[in-house]
Formats: sequence, C-alpha cells, structure tokens
Amino acid sequence: MKLRTRPLIALAALFGLCLSVPAFAQLDAEAAENIFKENDCHKCHHATKAKKGPSLKKIAAKYKEKKLDEKEAIKHMTAGQKVKLDDGKEEDHKIIDTKDVKVQTNVARWMLSH
Amino acid sequence: MDHRALNAGFSPLKLKLLAASVAAVFTAGLAGCVGGPTRGADTTGIDWNKVPATKLVLYYPGKSSYEWLRDPAAHKGAASETARGDSCVSCHDDAKEEQRQGAKILRGNHPLEPIALPGKPGHVDMNVQAAYDDKNAYFRYQWKGSNDIEYPYYRYDGKEWKVYGGPRLDKPVQEGKQPAIYETRLSMMVDDGKVPMFKEQGCWLTCHEGERDLNPATNADVAANAAMKAYKKSDVRKYLPASRSNPSDWKTGKSPEEIAKIKAAGGFADLIQWRGHRTNPVGGTDDGYVLEWRNFDDGKNHFASNLDAATKQPKFMFDAGKFGSKAVTADQVRTKDNFLIKGVNAVPFDPNAGWKAGDMLPRYALQPADASGSAADNKGFGTWKDGMWTVVIVRPLNLANADDKALKPGGVVSVGFALHDDNITTRGHYVSYVKTVGIGAKADIMAVKLP
Repeated sequence: MKLRTRPLIALAALFGLCLSVPAFAQLDAEAAENIFKENDCHKCHHATKAKKGPSLKKIAAKYKEKKLDEKEAIKHMTAGQKVKLDDGKEEDHKIIDTKDVKVQTNVARWMLSH
Repeated sequence: MDHRALNAGFSPLKLKLLAASVAAVFTAGLAGCVGGPTRGADTTGIDWNKVPATKLVLYYPGKSSYEWLRDPAAHKGAASETARGDSCVSCHDDAKEEQRQGAKILRGNHPLEPIALPGKPGHVDMNVQAAYDDKNAYFRYQWKGSNDIEYPYYRYDGKEWKVYGGPRLDKPVQEGKQPAIYETRLSMMVDDGKVPMFKEQGCWLTCHEGERDLNPATNADVAANAAMKAYKKSDVRKYLPASRSNPSDWKTGKSPEEIAKIKAAGGFADLIQWRGHRTNPVGGTDDGYVLEWRNFDDGKNHFASNLDAATKQPKFMFDAGKFGSKAVTADQVRTKDNFLIKGVNAVPFDPNAGWKAGDMLPRYALQPADASGSAADNKGFGTWKDGMWTVVIVRPLNLANADDKALKPGGVVSVGFALHDDNITTRGHYVSYVKTVGIGAKADIMAVKLP
C-alpha cells in the first residue's frame, strides 16, 4: 500500500509545485500576446520596430545584456515608473491591468523571448 | 450643378435604368409591400463579380471625441502624439485592432460608452468594391445587419402631433418610454489633402464635445453664442478644427467670412451619406460637407421636414387611395414601406381629415422631383436580403461645385467610412480608421476602370 501511495504523493507534490511557481510554468505565447494587446501595450511596443517605446526585441536584448529577468520586467509593468522618451520627455509607464503574478510572469517571459 | 448637368453624369443606358428603377420604387411604394424586390435595386449594370473587394472593419468608437483623444488623463500615453498630428494607426496597428477596441468599449463600464448596450457587437465586417467609368465612381458595400429603414414619426395624441420613436441612445428610448426607431446610414467622409490632419485622423477631427450625445451643449448656450447665431444653427454638429479659434471649444467659432475663406481653399470634408429611409426609396444619397457644421450642399436635398413650423402640424399625409390609409399606426411600424413620397403617395395635410389619437405620419417627406443642385449629385441603391445589406453609391467624377471634393481618375483621396445601424445615430455608429481610395490609382481601396 505504501509503495503505491508514495509515487502519487510525489506526483501531487510536483504538480502543486508547478502551479505555485509560475517561473516553471510553460510559456503560453498566445495568452501573453492577448494580455499585452488588451492592455494596449502594443500601441507603444512593437515586436521588432521602434514606436513610442522600444521594440520587444530591443528590450529582450537589453535585459539579456544586463542579466535582468522577468521580475524586473514585471516591476516595470506594474510600478508605473517614469520612462524617458526619445524626445527627452518623461511619462508614467502604463500599469498592466492584472495583479495575477502568473499572468504577469507569462507576459514578461513572452516579451523577453523576442 | 443643374439638373441637366446631373443627368449628363449618366450614360443614356444608365439613365434609362435609373428611370426604370425610380418607377419601380414608386410602384413598390404604392403597393405598400415590405422590402420589395425593386426598391433600392442596383441599376448601374456593373458586373460586381469582376470588381475586386477590400475588407474593411468598422468599430464602435463611443465617446472618443477630438478632445478625449487629446486629454492626457483619458487617451493615456497618446494625447501629445495625437495633438501633434500622428495618425491613429501609428499606434493602433494590430491586425485585429478594430475588433479589440470595439469589444473593449462595449464590454460595459468603459469610460467611452456609459450606456449599456448588451449584445451589440463591437465591430462590423464590411466588403467594399469600387469602380469607375468616364462619368462616375461606383462604390458597392456589403455587410451583415438588420433591416432598419424606419425613421421616427409624428404621432397625434388627440391634441398635438408629437415625435414618436427615436434613436437607441436617446434618453426616452433608454428609459423604455419610446421605441428605438432610426434609419440605417452608410457614410463616406472624403478629403483631398486640404484638411490638415485628415489623412492621419479622419472623422475623429469632426467629433467634438458639445455635439449631440457627446456632452451636448445646452440650447441656451448655443442660442447665446455669437458664432452659432451667425451660422444660424441651434445645436452643435460635426465641425473641423480650423473652424474654431480653439478647436476644442465649439463656442469659439470663426466668423462666416473666415469660414468662407477656408471653404474656398478646400478646407472642408465632403460627406456622402446613403440613408435607408430618407434617400434610398428615391434612389438618392446625400451630398454634404463638414466645416463649421455638418452642412448639406447647395440645392435641394432628397427629403425635407414634414412639420409645418407655424401650425405645428404635418405638411403632408398619405394619399389613402394610393397608400391604403391616410396615416399609419404604431402596430404598422416595420410592417410596411412607410415612405411618404411627394408626387407618389403624399397629399397636402388636411387638419380636418378626422384624425384619431395614435395616427402617425413620417417626420420627413421625400421629394424626388425637387432634389436638385449640388445636394443631389449622388445616387444610391440599397437592398437587404437574408440579413445582408448591399448598397451602391454613385458619385459623379470631376465635380466642380464649391462644396464638393472631386473624385478624379488617377487621383487618391482619404476616406473615413461610417455605418449607423441598429436604430442608432450620433456616436452610436461604427467607424473606420482613415483609408485611401484611388480612382484607378494605387490605394487601400482601388477603383477599377470599367470596360
């Protein structure tokens, strides 16, 4: 009996770990892109070309170079920090309209995958 | 343009077809049938199967006025870009932008649409085809929608004739005190490059606070305003920024002399509007323009008010011998073609005709024989079948009127498209981002030369 329950307990524990640690969740690109666009992030950030804000490709390269991860990206999209634009003006960065860390993480990972 | 010149816009064959269409329209009107096969039938003779189609997506903009777009607290992150003249699509460039924006605005509790409109789709898919010959440009539109061709009525309550029915956003309709009744309309707002920012922001330049259903100005404020007095207008309608010294304040209208100078320089937008009730039954399409107000072109339109301002009674009633009754009642709305047409089924109103409470007459009388001048330049044919509207708008080429933007072979114009359906008017329409239309020239929508 014990031999049968141990693997099940281990499996349940592993499953629970997957749910509770979003960093290990598989990237859902479609869901991330949808949240990104629902929040109008695409109006300033294009995948490859510069708009009002830098492209996702450029952001991803910068994060890689500076060894930053999705936590920094989440901070950027949730803190409403001032951002400096090309014309020198500063503006409050839009805050993503979700407090769900899993969703935020998925969006951040998708952005940094460019 | 005089009537002879208007006729010159059509080939003899097309004139014959047009005459046959009008005759058929009248016959259908006399029969009082619903959605007869002839009303609005396309008489252009064009084989549309050979004309390429462009897909447009129109979406619900709600209260996104010129002022809202330039308000940093509202149009977050884009107010200064909009103010400097950036195009809408420089940011709104996603492949499903219209679907996304329309759905957001109508999902409820959105600041751009305070009225709940459950079930109303956020966007409409529309097919557009364009062609031209030596005389005219032809635009064919198809979209799925409801067959709303009625317009509010005057209803006799035993003492007075009062308005019955109204557009869906009107308060009495929202409160359930009046039924939603309004005609379907399809519009093209056209500029040839002379209206600053039109090619970037299109119709949004004309949509302002103070207009109907956009925090409307009070009657008293309008009456007290010198510019509105000079324009002889009692409410605020679409206007272009150049017509105001402060574009965001309808009260700062420039003098009629300054407006005339802007108009002479071509600083106005042409407004071509097909209407399901007030123009389609007589084969017409409005011709107007937007500058200090939403004006009709010179001449006589296809329709006129059916209210006598002095007596507060209708001017015309139905000819019972031709229509079947001298008036209609509420239970007949949407069961007959209730078009009141001078020269066909209308006779002068008789106040002693034994009117009973509940009798109703259309608010507008159609006047096919009177329509003339620049106001009557455009033709239009619309039919509804199996949930699909097909509308053809005919616009003469090379118009030289002072209130027209000429469509010329080889030329490209900027166009904003709009659809009012679902018994709605004002902000309740669907709109497109600005598109280019080329008459035999490369553009978003290219009109092809007919053989």
